[in-house]
Amino acid sequence: MEAKNLKKFEQEMNTCIRCAYCSEECPVIVQKGWDTDGARGKVALSYGLLSGDLEPTQSIADKLFQCTLCRNCESKCPSGVEVCDIITSARADLVEKGYASDIHNTVIKNIKETGNIYGDTEVMAPLQEGEVPLFVGCQYLSRPNKTKKYIKILEKLGINVKVGREICCGFPMEVLGFKDDLEKHKGQFKVLFPHKEAITLCPTCTVFLRVGHDVDAKHILQIILDKLPEANLDMKVTFHDPCDFSRGLKIIDEPRQILEKLGVEVVEMKNNKGNSSCCGGGGGLLMSDSKLSDDIALARIRQAIDTGADTVITTCPTCETVLKKAATQIKELEGKDIVVRNIEDIIWKGLK
Amino acid sequence: MVELDIEKLREIVGKENVSDDIADLYVYSSDASVHQAMPSVVVRPGKTEEVQEILRYANQNKIPVVARGAGSGMSGHAVPIDGGIVLDMKRMNRILDIRPEDLLVKVEPGVINDELNKVLKPHNFFFPPTPSSGNICTIGGMIGTNASGNRAVKYGGTRDAVLGLKVVLANGDLVTLGTNTKTDASGYQLARLIVGSEGTLGIVVEATLLISPLPKFKAMAVANFDKLEDAGNAISKVMSSGITPSMVELMDNVAITAVNKALGLGLPDVSAIIIFECNGMVKEAVDYEMNAITKICEVHNGSGIKMTDDPKEMARIYEGRKKLFPSLSRFGDGLVSTSLADDMAVPVSKIAIAVHEIHEIAKRNNVVMSAYGHCGSGLIHTKILMDPTKESQWEDAKKAVAETYEFVRSIGGTTSGEHGIALSKAPAMKLERKDSLEMMRAIKRALDPNNILNPHKMMDAPDDWTTATRLRYNVRGGQ
Repeated sequence: MEAKNLKKFEQEMNTCIRCAYCSEECPVIVQKGWDTDGARGKVALSYGLLSGDLEPTQSIADKLFQCTLCRNCESKCPSGVEVCDIITSARADLVEKGYASDIHNTVIKNIKETGNIYGDTEVMAPLQEGEVPLFVGCQYLSRPNKTKKYIKILEKLGINVKVGREICCGFPMEVLGFKDDLEKHKGQFKVLFPHKEAITLCPTCTVFLRVGHDVDAKHILQIILDKLPEANLDMKVTFHDPCDFSRGLKIIDEPRQILEKLGVEVVEMKNNKGNSSCCGGGGGLLMSDSKLSDDIALARIRQAIDTGADTVITTCPTCETVLKKAATQIKELEGKDIVVRNIEDIIWKGLK
Repeated sequence: MVELDIEKLREIVGKENVSDDIADLYVYSSDASVHQAMPSVVVRPGKTEEVQEILRYANQNKIPVVARGAGSGMSGHAVPIDGGIVLDMKRMNRILDIRPEDLLVKVEPGVINDELNKVLKPHNFFFPPTPSSGNICTIGGMIGTNASGNRAVKYGGTRDAVLGLKVVLANGDLVTLGTNTKTDASGYQLARLIVGSEGTLGIVVEATLLISPLPKFKAMAVANFDKLEDAGNAISKVMSSGITPSMVELMDNVAITAVNKALGLGLPDVSAIIIFECNGMVKEAVDYEMNAITKICEVHNGSGIKMTDDPKEMARIYEGRKKLFPSLSRFGDGLVSTSLADDMAVPVSKIAIAVHEIHEIAKRNNVVMSAYGHCGSGLIHTKILMDPTKESQWEDAKKAVAETYEFVRSIGGTTSGEHGIALSKAPAMKLERKDSLEMMRAIKRALDPNNILNPHKMMDAPDDWTTATRLRYNVRGGQ
């Protein structure tokens, strides 16, 4: 097949010496166990598609979409191979050949028709004037209470944000293989969000505003860290680093410093900070393979329970949703209790 | 493609552990070598009885069986040159018995090296063979290749750490080889024969391994050398001085440039560096040995020698060395690292001359070759950096590989020190060990008369590695 997206990565794929260091703690290979499931396997399949050794099949597409794009492989790769770019390019070539799943097609259609992943024109945050543009993002637009809480936290700390009409950052188009749609979408995005800098709420949107739209996006935790007053919440929690936060944005210390300021003790999980394990919700996996996504989330929630903390805090709305489901499942399966909360709840409590 | 009964295999291991899907077959057609050949099926056994049943079936039907651990071998061990069954052994990953009081541990072959050491650590013990790929490589793969790594200079390689093995033979019989003791004079040392046999004589299903107490003290230093010859002479002097370092690693300028580019290590831009480490139970003894090595390096014009016992700094240096091989792919635009001529060993006094000659061979043949490795035990790694999409570069590489091994033989060295032979080093090994090839073949015939176990590897591999299988790269014409 013609692999126009993968073609740009031929040198990068040759750079991969297939050492398999990337398989260490890859959340998919840990669950499924076949070499095909790890990053090396996915790079090999991509190379096969590019070289013409392989013609696309549903099984090849399934393997390439069974990835959370958590960047664990990239952090383990001594050659610095851009594994996620290779996988998303392979996905793009497969999508052009008709291998997009129905659910992924629906999400992209929703973005194109309504501006958000839900296909609901009523999903929006209350508009307000302010000094610094705030990019809310689809996940927070659909969680208005959390968004309001974050905006009030900013107000209390003396930061007035401008909230305007916005559309999806386009990240789903990038990772699900709809690269041509993304190029058109970027133009519309620029019209509605012409800003050079922004405060963001969602880790993934933060990454994509930076790399996809050249916006100097700063996550809200980076903004409020210095301004936050101390509190004494007297809690013991563990912290789940979202992949786009710790490996994407390299924001590792800030959430821990915020929790420390609020009098919250953090006990670390086995995999933490830059070596954090994925929640299972990324890369479109939550939509296309919920069983695998659930299994990865269960493994992560077990790590949280092993710390002895009764609460796991995170900063990503998708991670929060996925881990909450896993916490419910672990209660049913093993009778173990753990509460999952997003950090804005804790900050809000500390500010009260 | 070999005709086989997939349903039969599904009955043995469960349908979820058998695949003849094109995605799996393609991924299992290659490893970290340059080779590629498609299997007919991939099977993931979970216990010894399943391995026995699979081999009984394969032997009756003369179907090739290739065992695979992490698939990180660099010479094509796991590449099924004749198709057939690839046995992915990673499901057999239980640690069966930990007996520090007997200095041993019993494990299944799919256990990962670093995982074993994590489990041994609370007992204050460790399994000494330390390949750079320890984070992913399996004990079975280490046994198959007789892997060693950077601490072999003090503790020896895998063969020195294997006390006993349970092995499934080609006909499905299970045999117990070796024993539980460090000394063993009871007949042929068959466990030692299996180590390094690359899956050609049997499938290892359990290993009894010798473990060592974790040293209480450790220190590390890096010495810089403006002349490669000085570094080589320093290593030879250290090793013949009576000191027993736990690591003596050499990195040439190509290697230094690559790790600095890929990992930002900030190593000095000199001709060579030596990383050395000493460990032990008595701090004064470790300090004494470190100081003695430092003095030897200084006498041989080593400079900028910084000693550290800070665990973080030692880990930083060690990680850089561990990740050197894959980092070489970032040496220069358009050149990538290929696993060729990758692990010869030479007498320790010949290291400097060997590294010098390797650089000359590279220049003559339009490729870049790095030289680095566990030089305290005479082990030199050289990867060939080239454009693998150009046909002419494979001709260059073929000449460079042949000239390198010819030189290694001329100074009394050997083709492979720790990665094994398989396909890409077979032509060189056949020249080096020509007197014993028939003995090797006789052993193979005796244990595997139908030639089903990893056939056509080592002494039976094709004479031209470039055409032994297709190359896994997208090779096109052009200069």
